[in-house]
Amino acid sequence: MNIIVLLKQVVDVELNIRVKDGELNEEGLNYVISSWDETAIEAALQFKEALDGDGEVTLISIGPERAEKSLRKGLAIGADKAIHILDSAFDGSDSFAYAKGLSKILKQQGPYDVILAGKQAQDTDAGLTASMLAEFLDLPQVTNISQADKVEANQLTLQRKGDHGNEVIELSLPAVITVSDSFAEPRLASLRAIMQAKKKPLATFSLADLDIDPNLIGDAGSKTTVERWSEPEARQAGEKFEGDEVETAKQVLDLLVNETKIFATLSN
Amino acid sequence: MTKILILAEVKGAEIKKPSLELLSQAKRANLEADVLLIGNRVREQANTLSSHGAGVIYLAEDPSLELYHTLTYTALVEDASHQNQYSQIWLTASELGRDLTPRIAARLDAGAITDVTGFEDGDKWIAQRPAMSSKVIQHCSFKQQGMQVISFRAGVFETLADSELENRTAEIKELALPKTDLRAIVKGLVKESGGAIDLAEANIVVSVGRGASGPEGIELVRPLADLLGAAFGASRAVCDAGWMPHNCQVGQTGKVVAPDVYFAFGISGAIQHLAGMNGSKTIIAINQDTEAPIFKVADYGIVGDLFKVVPVLIEEIKKIKNPSAT
Repeated sequence: MNIIVLLKQVVDVELNIRVKDGELNEEGLNYVISSWDETAIEAALQFKEALDGDGEVTLISIGPERAEKSLRKGLAIGADKAIHILDSAFDGSDSFAYAKGLSKILKQQGPYDVILAGKQAQDTDAGLTASMLAEFLDLPQVTNISQADKVEANQLTLQRKGDHGNEVIELSLPAVITVSDSFAEPRLASLRAIMQAKKKPLATFSLADLDIDPNLIGDAGSKTTVERWSEPEARQAGEKFEGDEVETAKQVLDLLVNETKIFATLSN
Repeated sequence: MTKILILAEVKGAEIKKPSLELLSQAKRANLEADVLLIGNRVREQANTLSSHGAGVIYLAEDPSLELYHTLTYTALVEDASHQNQYSQIWLTASELGRDLTPRIAARLDAGAITDVTGFEDGDKWIAQRPAMSSKVIQHCSFKQQGMQVISFRAGVFETLADSELENRTAEIKELALPKTDLRAIVKGLVKESGGAIDLAEANIVVSVGRGASGPEGIELVRPLADLLGAAFGASRAVCDAGWMPHNCQVGQTGKVVAPDVYFAFGISGAIQHLAGMNGSKTIIAINQDTEAPIFKVADYGIVGDLFKVVPVLIEEIKKIKNPSAT
């Protein structure tokens, strides 16, 4: 099974993110693989293992130079090869433009059986690119999968988290699949794997290497634009009570009763 | 005049409240809105849509439409969108909406903005949406005229009051059933025993996290939720461990809730969880770890053992409910 995993390097959102003058302040920030994409790598490895290791897992990332570090990490986790699309022509792309660009790239790569991605990127949380890509490639899709019940060379039985429960879907390949964080914990890269990853193939392509009309990507190819960023109103921490739980529980309940109307209706 | 096409979602025999919120918003903003209604035995719901102001209702009704299917729904939205000149398609950012929005947008060569929590309607229409696990707000706009696809978070708009409802019957246009794309076959639904009270609509939510240590902890807290008439939710860790069903998960990738009161028992407060409940009016956190991030957002924090706190709360609340019984 040949599997493509879409990988996005994002700002580490666990850190303190500040906005200055409507722009994200990237000073002192760290960059990591978007966590759902790590889960996607894990899913790819599990699918490959389910078929006795037959096939290849290829990572693809569109990003600046620093994205190479994340691709190496993905190789260390277990992917076989990586492709880094490095060209400023992609700057300013929204999900639509990324998906369009990827569709052109993937038509030139391949063949592939599965395209895997995280359900959304940890920076934008938009959740658009993979499904738009599926449409541009005319592939069926299953998003937000929480488990794979059956893995065969040309068909998968998957469960996705739907609104009313888990939807069980039989998916014919080739197809696009996105993963939910509930699918699996991504495996860790051992030190040995990190060393070996340095020797795994990582190819870098610029626009000149690819047959893509620059008007389809970047700002020109985008349908939406980010006008500005802002910080939400921060919640202030309230009162903290420590000590004997019998006391503190009663104290807090007392305060709640006097504070919120909900508790007033309880005494009816 | 701006014409909007709204996808109405159903649950059982009812239109889901978030869909009515969208329709209500269109009515209040004086926008012409037509509605696409898909499902099995949903025709009667047209009345609710009519009273909330739907112009035309496109109906696709068939047993095979009972469960969501990406390509079938995409084809139906595409079909409906061609019936008139629509400038926007509105959906709810439900799991269905999250799957369908990008597919429709790409199908119609349109931009999409998801999970919208507000907007500015000046010279430009600018949507606000949370990003980076709600640590920042993105302000986005569509670049050119042409189809625009937008998904809104549930609870952003208010439904119409009963006094605002109209006594009318919208025109119903039946859509042809698209051919099923057999590359993805929906075999069925593994229904989860969710709580009786919908997390997304409850006034009070009681949530448990890893601190509950297991099913015994869950069953300790559950009676408190029942006593309060609260919805019972959980952190992702609890759901992934199988202690509670996945549809109880509160969080960025689960249910996003904004009740009046949110109790967090044994929940540390990972950013993905906070992103799912930070909009709650009053947050009460109970955790053994005084450094737990949840305390940064809690209005009231109890640093302590939930196994000791919960029984006290249950007893005291029972006293409040039944002063004569004590």
